[in-house]
Amino acid sequence: MIIDSGLRVSLRHRNFFIVLILVGATFCLLPYWLDDYRLHVVIVSLFYVMMASSWNLLAGYTGQVSFAHAAFAGIGAYTSGILAVKAGMNPWLGVMMGTILAGFLGVCLGFLCIKMGGIYLSLTTLAFSEILHIIIINEYEVTRGTMGLQVPALMVEYSKAAYLYIMLAATVLTLIIIYTVIHSNLGLNFRAVQNDESAAASLGVHVVQIRVLAFTVSCALAGFAGGLYGHYLLLITPEIPSLDQQFLVLAMAVIGGMGSFLGPIIGSFVLEILSEYIRAYGEYHVLVFGLVALAMARFSPNGLTGLMDRLGSRRSSI
Amino acid sequence: MAFLEGVGITKRFGGIVALNSVNFRIERGQIVGLIGPNGAGKTTLFNAVAGAYKPTSGQVLFDGQDMTGLASYEMCRHGIARTFQVARPFPDMTCRENVLVAIINRRQSNSPAEQNRLAEETLEFVGLGDQRRTQAKNLNLIEKKKLEMARALATDPKLVLLDEVLGGLNTQEIGQAIELVRRLRDERGQTVFWIEHVMGAVMNAAEKVIVLNEGTKLMEGTPSEVVTDERVIQAYLGHA
Repeated sequence: MIIDSGLRVSLRHRNFFIVLILVGATFCLLPYWLDDYRLHVVIVSLFYVMMASSWNLLAGYTGQVSFAHAAFAGIGAYTSGILAVKAGMNPWLGVMMGTILAGFLGVCLGFLCIKMGGIYLSLTTLAFSEILHIIIINEYEVTRGTMGLQVPALMVEYSKAAYLYIMLAATVLTLIIIYTVIHSNLGLNFRAVQNDESAAASLGVHVVQIRVLAFTVSCALAGFAGGLYGHYLLLITPEIPSLDQQFLVLAMAVIGGMGSFLGPIIGSFVLEILSEYIRAYGEYHVLVFGLVALAMARFSPNGLTGLMDRLGSRRSSI
Repeated sequence: MAFLEGVGITKRFGGIVALNSVNFRIERGQIVGLIGPNGAGKTTLFNAVAGAYKPTSGQVLFDGQDMTGLASYEMCRHGIARTFQVARPFPDMTCRENVLVAIINRRQSNSPAEQNRLAEETLEFVGLGDQRRTQAKNLNLIEKKKLEMARALATDPKLVLLDEVLGGLNTQEIGQAIELVRRLRDERGQTVFWIEHVMGAVMNAAEKVIVLNEGTKLMEGTPSEVVTDERVIQAYLGHA
């Protein structure tokens, strides 16, 4: 399905996989170099890479800005956690179930939003997110509400290194899926719908199908990330499907560079690491992120990747 | 049996009757003009035929099939392509990608190599060959209109609805555009239904002209018949 069989573009795709393998291999060595705290930061960053990248697929490539992404991570986490605690299900199986349920609810939300665009779609997803949040907090019997649900780990003996490898593998899988979609005919249809829905329809694009499909893939990936994350934290709280988390994911994608493949990846690592440094000075990271986002919006709407592109082209034109 | 036939097409928007029981027939291989003063309902008629609007009542028959009320993308897959009055290419995509979108959504699918070839060929046909990697938002007006036509052609249609292609073009560009429309019919076997305000062009290229005024069909005939018709002149100049 890779759209261009020209030699130059095939090389570009091959280069992506090479870089991915090299970076992945480097990350595999991290447990030998980093202490547990720093490994934790990397694991959390990888979670955000999965979240920001899959959110970007929906918002940056089909133009549907969803505020329910963190909620879907929560669906993945709670589904897996509840099945493990109440039904004794194997956590790996639980994560799979969480992913499937997230995907299914993604289809539902996608259809719900189909007549809406722009701000109305965003508001509807926001409402969905809030409703889910309230349900989770109130259904104490099942979710333990704000106390949090204690869940088993993904392995018998808890090991940060093992979790790093797991999250790394999951992130690589997520990125491969997203990359393939973006560079396929489906990706072209995504962008066509984002650029101009009516014009796309007049060219034979089944807009409803495309929009719902984007929701499905994006939400399933969020559920997958959330499921794994929950079993890493060992405690699933309503913090995961919260708007705080949602805006953090949004900031990472936007500041990194919406609508580009690399943007959310860069944004996730930069903001997560920045967040850890600022945490020493109290809760100011929200303020800092807000200021950074403002500066980006004013000077570099295409985020950090936009900034890199401009510096790159300026150098080459000298 | 006519290639495209509208039977009593009526479109109401609340209390406003945009189209009032319009009947028309177009034969295969014709270039038919659609003219009328502003607000006559020309684009509304196109929207009804292309699936952007569902007629309040009446029928759209295409190549023997009742297509009334089908969605845009279904109309497209049945062979009806349309351009928009204000050219709307996908701004953040290259010319090649714009045309590819049309090609990948065709009814009969093609291999990636074939899709690339078709994209190249369509861009060459309209004269945008060397702009293939240019972002659509960076094109000038005539280039945007050519891209608009290329996209419509890339859907592999049987009927092309052109909505005011010549607006804003200078004399030389108008000549280019008319030539392109002729080639659509002569080289690509398309039937063309063409809304136009530039009278000279329509009279030159069309075999038949349909005149709309205030939502109703005033008359139809050959270009020379239409241009000399008293009612048509009155409609354009207004009542004394």
